[in-house]
Amino acid sequence: MILISYWDLLTLSFLVFLLGGVLWLNGFSQVKQLWWATLRMAAQLLFMGVWLSWVFYAENVLWVVLVGLVMLSAAGYEISKRQQYRLNKFHGVWIGLLALSFTSLMLLIGVLVFVIQPEPWYQPQYLIPLLGMLLGNSMTSIGVGLDTLTRSAVQLKAKIEAQLALGKTAKQSMQFIKEQSLHAAMIPVINMLVAAGIISLPGMMTGQILAGADPAEAVKYQIMIMLLIATSTGLGTLIAIEIASRRLFDDRQRLQLDVLSKA
Amino acid sequence: MKTKCMTASATIDSANTTVELLKVSKLLTTGVLKPVDLTIQAGQLWILSGISGTGKSQLLKAIADLIPHTGQAWLNGQAQADVCAEQWRQQVMYFAAETAWWLDTIMEHFVQTPSSQQLEALGLEQSILQKHPDSCSSGEKQRLALLRGLAFNPKVLLLDEITANLDPESTLKVEIFLQHYIQTPLSQSEQTSSALQNKGAARAILWISHDVQQHQRLAHPELQLVLNK
Repeated sequence: MILISYWDLLTLSFLVFLLGGVLWLNGFSQVKQLWWATLRMAAQLLFMGVWLSWVFYAENVLWVVLVGLVMLSAAGYEISKRQQYRLNKFHGVWIGLLALSFTSLMLLIGVLVFVIQPEPWYQPQYLIPLLGMLLGNSMTSIGVGLDTLTRSAVQLKAKIEAQLALGKTAKQSMQFIKEQSLHAAMIPVINMLVAAGIISLPGMMTGQILAGADPAEAVKYQIMIMLLIATSTGLGTLIAIEIASRRLFDDRQRLQLDVLSKA
Repeated sequence: MKTKCMTASATIDSANTTVELLKVSKLLTTGVLKPVDLTIQAGQLWILSGISGTGKSQLLKAIADLIPHTGQAWLNGQAQADVCAEQWRQQVMYFAAETAWWLDTIMEHFVQTPSSQQLEALGLEQSILQKHPDSCSSGEKQRLALLRGLAFNPKVLLLDEITANLDPESTLKVEIFLQHYIQTPLSQSEQTSSALQNKGAARAILWISHDVQQHQRLAHPELQLVLNK
C-alpha cells in the first residue's frame, strides 16, 4: 500500500479552507461550522487511529467493550441532537441507544460469532470497523425516522385528535404518521442498495481493495455489511418510532405533545 | 397507550338506561376557569355559549376525555375512568370546529357508507364521497364529519360550532337532522340487548354556538349553559 504523509493531508485541507471562502462570498453563513466540523473530523479520526492501534495490539476484551460503548453513546447522542422536537422525560438519547443496542449491536455479535468467527470473536480488527459502519448508518435512519414522527405529530395534531375522537386507539391514530416516518427513514437505505456497485463504490470495499485485497473477496464483505445495514436500520427505526409514539400518549390514550420540547 | 378494553366490565352497559344520560361533576381543565357541573338527560339538546377564551372547546374535549382534566363524568351512570378511552369517545363523541381528514378520499374515512337519505338530508351529493378532502369546502366537510362520527352511533354529541361555516339553509338542515337523531330510539339490535326496552330517546347533544337565533330555534332557556370569566 502506498502511504500518504501528514504533510499531504495538511496540503489537501487547504481545499476545504478555500471552499469556505468561496461559499462565504456566495452568501453561505455557516462557514465557521464547516471549518470547525472539518477540524473536528480530522482530530477525531487521528485520535481514533492512535486509539485503535493501541486497542488492536492490547487484545483485551475490556478495551473493546469501552470503545464499543463510546461509539454507541456518541451515536445515541447524535440521534437526539438531530431532532427538532425532543422527548423530555424518557430522553431521546435513551430511545436511540435502545434502538441501536437491540439492532446494530445484536446483529454484529451474531455475525461475529456465527459467520465471520474470528479468534477470539471480539477481535477488535473486525468488531470495531463493522460496529462503526452499522452505527453510522442506523444512526442516520433512526434520526430521520424519529424527527419525521415527532414533527408530524406536532404539525398534524388535528388529524391525530380527529381519529382519537372517533374512538380509534392511539396506535391506529398514529398509523399514517408511522408510515411516513418509516418511508423517510428507509428511502435512503434503498437508494444506497440500488446505487451500490454501479454508481457508488462502497467505502468498506474501497478500503479493502486499496489495502491490496482481492476485489472478489472485498465484494463479499461488502454484501454482508449491506445486508446488515439494511436490517439494522430498518429494525432500529421501527423500534425507535414505536417507543417514541407510545411516549406521545398518556394512559387514557390522550395525545400529550408537552412531552416534546423544541430544540 | 395502555388499553383497558380487555376486561368485560369495561364495556358500557346499555341495559342501564337511566333518564340521566350524561353527568359531569367538578370538571376542570386548562382554559376552563371554574369547575363545571352539568346533568344532561336523554333527548335533551343543550347550548353552550360564552365569549371567546372561556374554555368552551376545552370543556367539550375534556368531556370526551381527549385532554387531561380533573373531576368526573358519567354516561348512563358509568364513570369515565371505568370505561376504556376509545369506547368512551365512541359514545361521547367530540366534533371539532375545524374538521381533519387524513386519507386520500372522503369515503375512506367512513366505517360504513352513509345512506343516500342521510346525504340528501344534509344537502350533500353522493359523488362527494369519492373526492379528496382538500377539494371539498369547509362547510361540506363539516357535514361529512358529522356523518363520519354518527356512523358509530354515539349517545352524546359534543358539537363545537359545527355550523359556523354553513349557509343558513344548510344550517337548518343540520339542525333538523340532529334533532331527529337525538329523538330516534335506539336501533332494534340495541334494544334487544337492553333489558328495559326503552322506546324513548337515548341520545343527547351539547352544542357550542354563538348564533343567538340558533339558540332560540334549538333549546329552551333552561338548557343554555353560559361559561363566564
